[in-house]
Amino acid sequence: MKKTFYMVLVMLCLQTAENIVYSNSENQSGSPFSQSQFVPDISFILDLAYIERDITDTTRQSLFIPGMTYSSEYLSSIDDDTASEQNGRGFSFNYGEMNIASVVDPYFDLFVNLSFTEEGVEFEEGYFTSRSFPFGFQLKAGKFLSSFGRLNEQHGHFWDFFDQPLIYSVVFGEGNLNETGMRLTWVAPFDFYMMLGVEALQGRNSASFGIKGFSDVQHNVTVDDSRGPNLYVAYLKYSYDFDTLTLLMGGSGALGKTRLNMALDQSGIQGEGYNGSTHIWGGDITLKYLIDSFRYISLQAEYIIKTFDGRQYTQDTADNISSAECEKVQSGMYAQLVLKPFLQWRFAARYDLLNKNRIEYNGTRDTEYPENMPRYSCMIDYNPTEFSRFRIQYNHDRSHYYKENNEYVNKPNNEIIVQCNLSIGAHGAHSF
Amino acid sequence: MKKILIASISILYLVTTAHAGRIKVLTSYPYIADIVQKIGKEHVRVHYLARGNWDPHTVIPRPSFIAKVRRADLLIINGGQLEIGYLPPILKQANNADVFPGRKGFLDLSSSITMIDVPRSVSRAQGDMHPDGNPHYYLDPHNIPPLAKAITKKLCELDYHNASNYRNNQSVFLNKWNSKLAEWDRKLKSLRGISVVEYHKNFDYLLRRYGIKLVGTVEPLPGIPPTSRHMETISQIIARHSVKFIIHDVYHPERASKLLAKKHNIRMVVLPHDVGATNEAEGIFSLFDEIVRRLSQ
Repeated sequence: MKKTFYMVLVMLCLQTAENIVYSNSENQSGSPFSQSQFVPDISFILDLAYIERDITDTTRQSLFIPGMTYSSEYLSSIDDDTASEQNGRGFSFNYGEMNIASVVDPYFDLFVNLSFTEEGVEFEEGYFTSRSFPFGFQLKAGKFLSSFGRLNEQHGHFWDFFDQPLIYSVVFGEGNLNETGMRLTWVAPFDFYMMLGVEALQGRNSASFGIKGFSDVQHNVTVDDSRGPNLYVAYLKYSYDFDTLTLLMGGSGALGKTRLNMALDQSGIQGEGYNGSTHIWGGDITLKYLIDSFRYISLQAEYIIKTFDGRQYTQDTADNISSAECEKVQSGMYAQLVLKPFLQWRFAARYDLLNKNRIEYNGTRDTEYPENMPRYSCMIDYNPTEFSRFRIQYNHDRSHYYKENNEYVNKPNNEIIVQCNLSIGAHGAHSF
Repeated sequence: MKKILIASISILYLVTTAHAGRIKVLTSYPYIADIVQKIGKEHVRVHYLARGNWDPHTVIPRPSFIAKVRRADLLIINGGQLEIGYLPPILKQANNADVFPGRKGFLDLSSSITMIDVPRSVSRAQGDMHPDGNPHYYLDPHNIPPLAKAITKKLCELDYHNASNYRNNQSVFLNKWNSKLAEWDRKLKSLRGISVVEYHKNFDYLLRRYGIKLVGTVEPLPGIPPTSRHMETISQIIARHSVKFIIHDVYHPERASKLLAKKHNIRMVVLPHDVGATNEAEGIFSLFDEIVRRLSQ
């Protein structure tokens, strides 16, 4: 059904494109009803990778970060072949991304971002923004990437590395915090940049929040849905220029209810469920020194801490359920250095660390969860023009574990990624 | 408590309205800012975004740009898609509806000029293309008067109380400019008919105006650094057309141009492309004084 819908959508796009070509030639002969000038800005981005890795795809899929990402039991229960193929060893098609944007009328702008994978198309973003709010306010509504932190709002092709920092994938999942809701921002009328934003979001994020209630196989426990909007985000961003050195700082908070169900309703496998509330706080700092138009040095660091307070439900393979008061305090950071010494080349290094992983059940700390889990990355990218990029990245990852004899065992992993990213259509913008 | 609140509100009010009465003009490039300053004088407060010694195409959009757009009453751009890489997202984030394209507080200077080299077909196989034509039109000194007139007209529209001042300043500016034009025309007359090579097509309008023949560029395509094969080609062109000098800008690496100049024993002339590009080019007058001086050396 979904596929058919998108097939129709693509057909329509092509049809429109054909009409444009037709109406363009028509226009020269002076058609009074030509619409070609109203075509929105369209661009398409293609991202491909080739990956070499120490471990097999099956091993990689069985690894996890204890207490932070889904356990291997749960992952194997959803048995998603496509998930293991994605970014597996060898060639992989990462994504295609189509951006469509235009002015709606004097009052609104519309922006749509469709994400294409081999399986289908997804509405990654689709929102409108106000054009004419007074006093420096702007309203945004629809489905969009939250502006939490420094990186959440950035699309993949803006990243300085192939992958996002560990703490982002742990706290928000692979797709970042991408929610339906509303946002109001205010830019202060000062000589320096200061922006305040608040967001009210549905809060369906499956890594930290979620709104759908759950119950176990034997219906001993039932947790109600939480009421949407479920998640509130606020942030303050500040920037100051010291000649050609720019400082950018930000502080963000995300507060929401948590309803997470990992195979609790499936019989015969280990399941987990969480019911409570989650608070996430983040602080970021960027220092960028512009040597000239082409060359710069940029230092960026971010710290994010997440606390969960509520109840954890555990179901064993015989479908017996138990529960405990649970409190999690987990945090991580990354620091990265990017050098752009030539027009077409960039060199970068990043240090990732999940430093805190404190989990308490009924007021007693469970010490089996490991802390201080690092990853080291470095990358070189070559940009023939603004529209194409080739990157090689090396990761040494010591953050992933497997479980053996009820103990977590670290499994270090080395990977080399060759990535290429190409874009056509409307001119994309440079990012800071 | 109440006193503190009142005090802080009034301080905030004072800070934000201290320059009320003066039009806050923001320009993308410093050369525009200088013209605005000469016409607006004490009635305007001018800021600009890009630095004069940087590549006008690749400007890194700093967050402070957003703050500047937020506070502007009038935004003046060069246009011709020169700002396409950095200004659209800044406008989107600055939440200032007054300076959106099409509004009263927005002026695109390229609309007062007829641009050259408008491509008949547009493809990025030709490098970083400008579909509206070559956007470096302001580097022909004869194109400055229409820009000054467009700016004056806009200032009068926004601040009609001072319209007569702006018109007076404009005529002072134009009188001085016209006498300067005569001087520059005279000095560059001797260059008519010679052949030159440019690094990037920055100075086409100037070359065309003074009958200087451009026979090639050191970059193979706009925005693409020279390859060894292209260096070979351009070297042959230099020999064949007995090129007099290579024009270079202040922001591209000089290595390739220097190499060619040395090989053929000709001059490499570094020309400022904007106010602030070199120390001598402090304003719009001295920018052209310096271009003419360096060319006629």
